[in-house]
Amino acid sequence: MLEVILNGLVLGGMYGLIALGLNLQFGIARMLNLSYGEFFMYGAFLALFALTWYQLNPLLGAVVAVPLAFAINWLIYRYLFQPLIRRAPNRDALDADIVLVTFGLLFVFRGIAEVNLSGNAAGYDFLNFGVHIFGAIVPANRLLAFAVSMVLGGALIVMLRRTRFGSALRAIAIDPTAAGLIGINVQQLSALAFALGGALIAVSGVLVSTFTTVSAGIGIVYTLKALIIVIVGGPGRMGGALAAGILLGVAETVALQFASGLTLAINYAILILVLLIRPTGLFARG
Amino acid sequence: MVEKSSVNRLAIAAAVVGTAILAAVPLFVAGYGISSGITIFANVALATAWAFFSGPTRYISLATASFVGIGMYTVVVAGTVVPLSIALVLAALIGFFIALVVGLSTLRLSGVYFVIFTFGLTELMFQLATWYEISYSRRLTRFMPPNLAGLDSAVIYEILLFAMVVALAATWYVGRTRLGQALRAIGEDETVARHTGINTTLVKVFVFAVASAMMAFIGGTLALRLPYITPSIAFNPTWSFQVLIAALLGGPGFFWGPAVGAIPLVLLSDYFAGRFPYHFSIALGVCFVIIVYLIPGGIAPRLAGWYRRLAATEGARQIRDRFATLRHDLSLWRRTVLRPRLRGVRRKAPPALQTGDNPAQVPLLRVTDLRKAFGGLVAVRDLSFDIPKGSIVGLIGPNGSGKTTVLNLITGELVPDSGSILLNGEEIIGAMSYQVNRARIARTFQLVRVLPGMTTRENVALGRMFGSDPVTASAASKEVNDLLERVGLSGHAGQFGAQLTYIDQKRVELARALATHPQLLLLDEWLAGLNPTELKIGIELIRQISREGVTIVLVEHVMEAIRALCQHVVVMNAGERIAEGTPAEVLSDPRVMQVYLGEDDAAA
Repeated sequence: MLEVILNGLVLGGMYGLIALGLNLQFGIARMLNLSYGEFFMYGAFLALFALTWYQLNPLLGAVVAVPLAFAINWLIYRYLFQPLIRRAPNRDALDADIVLVTFGLLFVFRGIAEVNLSGNAAGYDFLNFGVHIFGAIVPANRLLAFAVSMVLGGALIVMLRRTRFGSALRAIAIDPTAAGLIGINVQQLSALAFALGGALIAVSGVLVSTFTTVSAGIGIVYTLKALIIVIVGGPGRMGGALAAGILLGVAETVALQFASGLTLAINYAILILVLLIRPTGLFARG
Repeated sequence: MVEKSSVNRLAIAAAVVGTAILAAVPLFVAGYGISSGITIFANVALATAWAFFSGPTRYISLATASFVGIGMYTVVVAGTVVPLSIALVLAALIGFFIALVVGLSTLRLSGVYFVIFTFGLTELMFQLATWYEISYSRRLTRFMPPNLAGLDSAVIYEILLFAMVVALAATWYVGRTRLGQALRAIGEDETVARHTGINTTLVKVFVFAVASAMMAFIGGTLALRLPYITPSIAFNPTWSFQVLIAALLGGPGFFWGPAVGAIPLVLLSDYFAGRFPYHFSIALGVCFVIIVYLIPGGIAPRLAGWYRRLAATEGARQIRDRFATLRHDLSLWRRTVLRPRLRGVRRKAPPALQTGDNPAQVPLLRVTDLRKAFGGLVAVRDLSFDIPKGSIVGLIGPNGSGKTTVLNLITGELVPDSGSILLNGEEIIGAMSYQVNRARIARTFQLVRVLPGMTTRENVALGRMFGSDPVTASAASKEVNDLLERVGLSGHAGQFGAQLTYIDQKRVELARALATHPQLLLLDEWLAGLNPTELKIGIELIRQISREGVTIVLVEHVMEAIRALCQHVVVMNAGERIAEGTPAEVLSDPRVMQVYLGEDDAAA
């Protein structure tokens, strides 16, 4: 049982990492990006190629994946979202447009991967040995993902709390109009937050690829998991996302002892419970 | 109106003839023609069913494929034991109930949660089906039962034609009923919808379930073309995607919009899937982005615009006149030869007006120890006051003193932490906004909330069509005219809410509130921003409303109005009542002067 819980914790830490980027995009820049998980998929493929094509350490895939994801997400915000933001008569209309555009992008990104990469779907071995912790065995590659996720999560929390950039982002998350009125360049900073979110999910893709099979269709599931975690944790709350990720990871690992192949059903059950009990998220203020 | 209804009759006749022709096609055509028909009907029907719910409410559903898959599985599983017709009905029923569950858990919340939930629903269904098949039936493939396999494609064609006609007719019909107006109001502004007496959750969940039932029925029919199904064939997200594009391309705001979008899309994707099978999803994705940027709202509004311009030409007018004459003759014949029938009969009598047994002792509204905190901020602190029947009570205080919160607590928009609110001696805490409205409490909003995409007339009619004593649109018509006249909006009846000036929007809100037949009217700074002449007219209007027996609560900063209208004033500061009495009394009270003017000025 200890091993199950420990593995759940580690899995959950990784989920937290996956949700951090979406939390920047959805919680702070307020853009519901349904193509989010596609950057996870590309990150995972780049790690795979680093190993299989160039015999490099797969983690070096991040060297390409992170700046690329950052740039593409920034471009999406700047050139696809901003015209919609200017055009929208109100928030609801904008949300609907963003959902539709990113849903379209999801199919474009996925389609490109299917056409060019589907022959390369594969898993690979990296750091695939057990580490003993408190008498339980945890795979090293998962432990690495967990550690990176905690470090990045901590760094994000400190950044949001302690820096001017972070304060500005928190102001935008609460009220973009008011933030604009006190001299914050809302569009510029939102674009940065959105791009940063894309970079984070690419990192997750690189790390998680060390222990899952990589294929063109995996993006959507990670988008879903990230969305569920962000809502359960409370949009915009980085600590909440990490905690919710761990909650989901543990619940999933425990439940899988009884019924395998039902991860999404378990995620959904948690989401519904939270929405019924506390629609603003478990770790939200107020 | 004569011209319009003759055009409608003509359209209905054309639709019936068109359907009959389409139904007869399999007698003369076979093969490719039939199979094209099947694809087109299925797409049109699905896109229309999607827009049935998502069009007016603007709640985007990405779950079409889930219900298609549910229908497919139902037919394949149930088809072994019951006849096809029953299996299809069963598919619709199961789709309906699953949609009820989904709707009840997500539609109470904001639109974003609904999108997210439906986004994953297909994946969830896929996983559940796979898990079940692997763990229990131990095989992923389910073959079509022998009695259904190899069914003549003409039968499938006819069933899908039927489904398409039903979807189109239902969307068209509902669009002109009270339910349709309620859906539009939800899409425009859900808070206003609730405060106009609409049970928004019930309306949304029910309509979503009906749309999903249609999708499951269509999915079940589509399964008949397949030799076998697997979870990935049944729950194929492409359906959600393709249907959404069709509806958006056509324009979900018109009942025929999705159909217009589906037809070119089917032809295009046939062409594409044949030539570039691997680039299909990229192409669709790009289409999607292009539609959102270049044709927001879809083709339908543009077509409608061309049609209107065409209809305004001289030739079109002559054709219309000829039809009008024909229709006149027909109706004469019907009235004289056929039995005349009754029109516009109301279904139920209006409820008897509640007359308090002892108006002097039981106040219309009694608020006791009301408390509401937002986190650490106590917005309303143990507040008590009475609103006697027939009075005009002023509720004043500096900005941020909690006045609007009090109104939100009374109308059920917020739930208090403690305290009680008695209407005619009955507790109303816990009632939803629409129930409060039906108990004949109406309000206007401090930040004006006119439904921007509905006309002045529609905005006001909404109040009469829901509210405490609901009637149909046509029955409401005369009263709506009177109300528009009364608030000085007769000249703007056809203008959209978004086109009105701020003052006119306030007038619309008042008329809409009055249309619900309130016994208690809550005006939240309704007089703010009026010029001196308008203020005089506004004060006179409120006095008039009061004389007709409506009790009024006036939240106001305009002291001139408070002095002129109120018999009694409650003064709030920081959530508490600090003074109460006649306007003259409270306005000379040093505590009141202090909170309004600050310590020093009050002393001076």
